Amino acid sequence: MAKINPGAIILLIFMMVVLCGTADAGGPFGPPQPLTKDSGGIRTAVGYWYHEDKFSNDTDHVIKQNQVYSEVAYGAGKTWEVYGRIGVSSIEIDDALSSTRPSTTSSKSDFEDNWKFFGTLGAKGFYPFNEIFGIGAFVQGTYFFRDADDNVSGTTGGAPYTMELRMTDLWDVNFGIGFQATLWRDTKLYAGPYVYYAEVQVSPAPVISGIQLANGDTTLRNKTNVGGFMGIDVPIAKGFRLNVEGQYSERFSAGAAISLVY
Amino acid sequence: MKRFYLLMFLIALMWAGYSHGADVAPTTHEAMVSGQARSVIAASSSVQENKVGIGDVRASAVVGESPDEEAIDEEEEDEEEVMGEISIADPLEPFNRAMFQFNDRLYFWVVKPVAQGYKKVVPESGRTSVKNFFTNLGFPKRFVSCLFQADFGGAATELGRFVVNTVWGVGGLLDPAANKELDLQRQDADIGQTLGIYGLGHGFYIVWPVLGPSSLRDTVDIAGEYFQYPFTYADPWYVGPSVRAYEGVNSASLRIGDYEALKEAAIDPYVALRNAYAQYRQNMVKKKEKREAPAPVEVKPAQRMFQ
Repeated sequence: MAKINPGAIILLIFMMVVLCGTADAGGPFGPPQPLTKDSGGIRTAVGYWYHEDKFSNDTDHVIKQNQVYSEVAYGAGKTWEVYGRIGVSSIEIDDALSSTRPSTTSSKSDFEDNWKFFGTLGAKGFYPFNEIFGIGAFVQGTYFFRDADDNVSGTTGGAPYTMELRMTDLWDVNFGIGFQATLWRDTKLYAGPYVYYAEVQVSPAPVISGIQLANGDTTLRNKTNVGGFMGIDVPIAKGFRLNVEGQYSERFSAGAAISLVY
Repeated sequence: MKRFYLLMFLIALMWAGYSHGADVAPTTHEAMVSGQARSVIAASSSVQENKVGIGDVRASAVVGESPDEEAIDEEEEDEEEVMGEISIADPLEPFNRAMFQFNDRLYFWVVKPVAQGYKKVVPESGRTSVKNFFTNLGFPKRFVSCLFQADFGGAATELGRFVVNTVWGVGGLLDPAANKELDLQRQDADIGQTLGIYGLGHGFYIVWPVLGPSSLRDTVDIAGEYFQYPFTYADPWYVGPSVRAYEGVNSASLRIGDYEALKEAAIDPYVALRNAYAQYRQNMVKKKEKREAPAPVEVKPAQRMFQ
């Protein structure tokens, strides 16, 4: 059997992900192989995730989030794991409130809100080829429990207005495959592609026809559905591990988490 | 002036720790049963450790014949070597016995049935997580007490535990700090113990309604704990007591049977509980004085009731 260069595989996967990936999703996926103990146990983590994505209906809008979360996972056999996250996030949508007509003015152009609670549930499975390489698959979904809202004021046709834009039911679901190489001292390097879907309902009150997202109730969806991720998970000390991950699409997202296995 | 002398006399009594001395005259009833009760407590402890049936222990305590008698005696001697003869003055015995009866009824008529129902609904892992959460919430008391005891290592351990359990223990529901690798064990430190380390004696025994066994010294701890308990400051006012009641029920659900075992085994449960309390508290002070880490895992049933 011909020998395959592991570095070439990783490079190939990364290139594949970078070239075909054009989407983004909420939260890190972590290494494909569960970190929980072989005999079964719990892993907890705290992390920060900076997230960018492009949503669209008629026009494109960049959505930005700063997420801080706490995660708890349970798994066994180094082959499967289920996990949940709870956290808070800021939400910013560029040009959501900017004016599209000369007769309409707007006091601000970006939608902004903070401290929105969200929850994430996920599961992953892993199949090791040998002691170094393996492949895994995961599914992960996120839902924002609280509506986000922002107010804008201005004039339209000479008449003053104050409008509230509300975003409800922001959610996403992701499915991906990850390839992993376990290097020295249990350092895990991983990368892979994923597909995902995300949407959010937008409701203005009242409807202001000259404002980007205030023409009426609408649903924003992710512009594309494919992306790629890459990360590294390094043991620190006493059961603590550091995970750094990046996801690439039209926009780049990245974050880090410190987990504890026990 | 008379009041001043009286006050000085009382302070001197407390400071001297008069209740620790062997010259405390026990009541006739106590003299009859206290030794027996101590052996009962030791025996009931060995039930947990040696997996001996309660019935066997009760029989050995009452009849005085048992195959494990030697083992129990040895254990008793060991206990006494560590702690010496510990007793506590009980000038309020009539009042205390009445309160003991009140608490006993409260336990059997209210707390236990509620705890049993709760136990049926909530699995043990869930109840343990709730216990972990409340233990984590007790961090301020233990941290401040460690500082007052100049136990800076203990304070640092408590701080580390609090951070790890709050951040990686899902707000304290889990206890990752106690795992093998981190080994940050809970510091059993409180204000009563701190006063004991400073040389203040028990004072006298007092049984508070609802709160249970205490001493004059440890009553200060009850007050101190009240102010260091985060839910005390919750609004509206009934949140604090409600949370405490829930904590009590959860705690009771994890140790149903301990009190019953002690009560069944003891000839006079009041005396048994009083002595167990005095020994437990004295042991806590001595352990801290020797800068020994208190054993956090295997706690004897009679002692667990005071935690």
